[in-house]
Amino acid sequence: MSEIDMAVIKPEMMKPYVWLQTSDDSIQQVEQEIAMFCPLICQEIIQKGMGSSKNCAICLPQQVSPAMLSLILDYCRFHQVPGRSNKERKSYDEKFVRIDTERLCELTSAADSLQLKPLVDLTSRALARIIEGKSPEEIRDIFHLPDDLTEEEKLEPLRNITADPRIRLLNRLYAKKRKELKERERILKLKKSMWMNVQLMTFCLLLMEMKENFVAEPKGVKTSKNKKKNRRKKEQQKNSSSKETSELDKKEVNGHDIRHQSSEAERISESSYLHYAEDGTSTPKSDDGDIYDGIDPALKEKIDREVEDFARRLNSDWPERMQELLSSGQDRKTLLFNTDGFLRRHA
Amino acid sequence: MNKMEGQAPSPLPDQVLENVLETVLHFLSSRRDRNAASLVCKSWYRAEALTRSELFIGNCYAVSPRRATARFPRVRSLTIKGKPRFADFDLMPLNWGAHFTPWAQALAQSYPSLRRLHLKRMSLTDRDLTLLSLSFPHFQDLLLTCCEAFTTTGLAAIAANCRLLRVLDLAECVVEVADEEVDWISSFPETQEETHLESLVFDCVECPVNFQALERLVARSPSLRKLRLNRYVSMSQLHRLMHRAPQLTHLGTGSFSASELDPEPDYASAFAASKSLVCLSGFREIWPDYLPAIYPACANLTSLNFSYADINAHQLKSVIRHCHKLQTFWVLDSISDEGLQAVAETCKDLRELRVFPVNTREEIEGPVSEVGFEAISRGCRKLQSILFFCQRMTNAAVVAMSNNCPDLVVFRLCIIGQYRPDPETLEPMDEGFGAIVMNCKKLTRLAVSGLLTDRAFGYIGTYGKLIRTLSVAFAGDTDLGLKYVLEGCPNLQKLEIRDSPFGDGALRSGLHHFYNMRFLWMSSCKLTRQACQEVARRLPHLVLEVINSEEGKADDIEILYMYRSLDRPRDDAPKVVTILH
Repeated sequence: MSEIDMAVIKPEMMKPYVWLQTSDDSIQQVEQEIAMFCPLICQEIIQKGMGSSKNCAICLPQQVSPAMLSLILDYCRFHQVPGRSNKERKSYDEKFVRIDTERLCELTSAADSLQLKPLVDLTSRALARIIEGKSPEEIRDIFHLPDDLTEEEKLEPLRNITADPRIRLLNRLYAKKRKELKERERILKLKKSMWMNVQLMTFCLLLMEMKENFVAEPKGVKTSKNKKKNRRKKEQQKNSSSKETSELDKKEVNGHDIRHQSSEAERISESSYLHYAEDGTSTPKSDDGDIYDGIDPALKEKIDREVEDFARRLNSDWPERMQELLSSGQDRKTLLFNTDGFLRRHA
Repeated sequence: MNKMEGQAPSPLPDQVLENVLETVLHFLSSRRDRNAASLVCKSWYRAEALTRSELFIGNCYAVSPRRATARFPRVRSLTIKGKPRFADFDLMPLNWGAHFTPWAQALAQSYPSLRRLHLKRMSLTDRDLTLLSLSFPHFQDLLLTCCEAFTTTGLAAIAANCRLLRVLDLAECVVEVADEEVDWISSFPETQEETHLESLVFDCVECPVNFQALERLVARSPSLRKLRLNRYVSMSQLHRLMHRAPQLTHLGTGSFSASELDPEPDYASAFAASKSLVCLSGFREIWPDYLPAIYPACANLTSLNFSYADINAHQLKSVIRHCHKLQTFWVLDSISDEGLQAVAETCKDLRELRVFPVNTREEIEGPVSEVGFEAISRGCRKLQSILFFCQRMTNAAVVAMSNNCPDLVVFRLCIIGQYRPDPETLEPMDEGFGAIVMNCKKLTRLAVSGLLTDRAFGYIGTYGKLIRTLSVAFAGDTDLGLKYVLEGCPNLQKLEIRDSPFGDGALRSGLHHFYNMRFLWMSSCKLTRQACQEVARRLPHLVLEVINSEEGKADDIEILYMYRSLDRPRDDAPKVVTILH
């Protein structure tokens, strides 16, 4: 976009600054020229006319925290200068990605959300280099990932694997829904048990109060205690959710000891084959029982039905030509081995 | 962005990565890294499966076509290997398997964007080739190595239908001639003004080609860099082709002999004009008098394949003294130790050497020996890969090579004859091979021969920690030998043994490791059916094929071919194969 074009479209766009809102709701002023380097921001300014003031600040995607925005702007600030040589740019890039892995992941995600492809490629490559040469355990350690593949799956995981973006989206929604429901169930359970405890406690206190001196109304006591309860509940939630996720992950592993497949043949010999439908569709079977723990069965059925429906619709049709070719029978030639002692040259 | 109250905590690191995981995985190309990534966790497994575009299948029976295509939906390049290497030595029955047809059908259905296919030791029919040619509109590269069961008809289909064909490489295939000789070269459409061809290798096709059509094809292929002709192309025809394609980098010269007695063109000028040539091969029916023609090209050569050229030391010397940049050299032992010494003197940059025998009889003197071998080790210090056939070798020479060439990755020494000791000391060859595994710390492939006791295997088990492929023939004393190897070599993937006294105890000692291996081949050893049955029972993902020369007699184990597999055993085996599971 040349400056003249910008002036013709909107006079306000000649302003050197644009207002951006990051994931923590804070708003900052950024040089427009630099920010426009990001396609998403560019789009927001030109197509929607946003960002010209604090009130219409451009809401950046939630992956963009202030720290990430700062890094990204540094990158844009360097690269938008036209005079730099390729060597300079390369050298800058190499230094730029020398940050800790966690920030590198965040940065990749943030750049991706802003559609800044060169930076996405740069950071993705850096992450790929970190992964290169490592074992699965090492990779899990570096990225703090759960060890949630079962022993059988590590031998050959079999699940809903299709390329159709609809199925992938559905799987993602499915996983998201699963997580949400689990979260809800957990909170419900927590609420229940807390409420029980509180009831018990209140009753005891009441008994004590009644016993000792009749001071305040039960209601008044309850509300102040309720406030404390809520605060404690929030804290507990934050603490227990991370613990509980890891516990859940352990549960999902069918109680098997997670070890690399190369250990003990006996272990592998005891496991059974996973089910795999002959018609090519894969539907969750009974060995997935652990994953369904705690999910509303009606919702589970609905999701299962949707997945099956998609799988059915995905069966592609053979071109007619192929059908003809293949139906005309197998024609295998038997081959006489040459026994003249000819030595193969290639390996 | 307003946050709702009581929202979940900030996303866990794996969720952050999940958004961009596919982008990251696109930059992961080595299959070892991809396999590691796929075992990290469920979401990585899924993302990796969706982004794998190059698929390598080391054993066509390890996984069914349906499973492979179901897991990896976006493959553009596929490599499949079929029969084990010992099949080359007539040790396998007719029609054993490695049929490509079920794969062809699965690929046609699942990979419409397939661009590249490389098959090794597979059996594919004309129908398979025709199906391929019609199913993949973007198909570019077809490489067939040591394949069989197809004819020139199949080649014609590929030529005719694959409009974007870039590479057609047939290496050591057995191409049967169709009942009516099919002019497959003419099948390349003449209406296409320029082809996309970059590589055309057909030196193994044993039938004449239409030269005029070939010449026209070469003339309209401006991108052609590799051209390897079969022995039906004469010297003068070669000359014409070279003038059509001076941009060639790899040339297979065809017969390198003349059939007419006409005045001959200046062959040397053709080679001088091909300034980009780095690789020469062919010389299928060489007239050594024509060798001087290649002198102008020698200085630039990095690869020279004389493995079909029966030339002597003197003739070789005249060529090799110009080849200072040579890195790969394949030759017949007809050049004798003197020839090898000449190579050692000039080719200081040599990385790979293969010396093939003209005569595989044991009782002859043999033109190459430890003398030439040791000369090579002294002259070519950068050697990484050697395949050496000879009738005689000493421990001292092998030890010398282990010291002079520490970069060796592939060491294959084939002393022709059974149980041959060191002719100087009459000792077994244990110390020589022991030195190799001790000193060559990068060694991944080893082939042993000569008289060997369990001691040699003890060395291999102790020092050969990186070895992935091991070939053994007529070697060892007791089960201990094989036990040392199976217990000591954690990276062992391919083990081929013939005529060695290893039995059930040895087999059992590998139970902890068999799932890590691509295959185990044991023929004419001392295995019993019971032991094999036991292994099959204890390791359900292993397929044990017992192959006997006579149908029905499955008590004696003549050949055991054992491999891991994720699917049920195959159903396309001939009657002589009994599958235990």
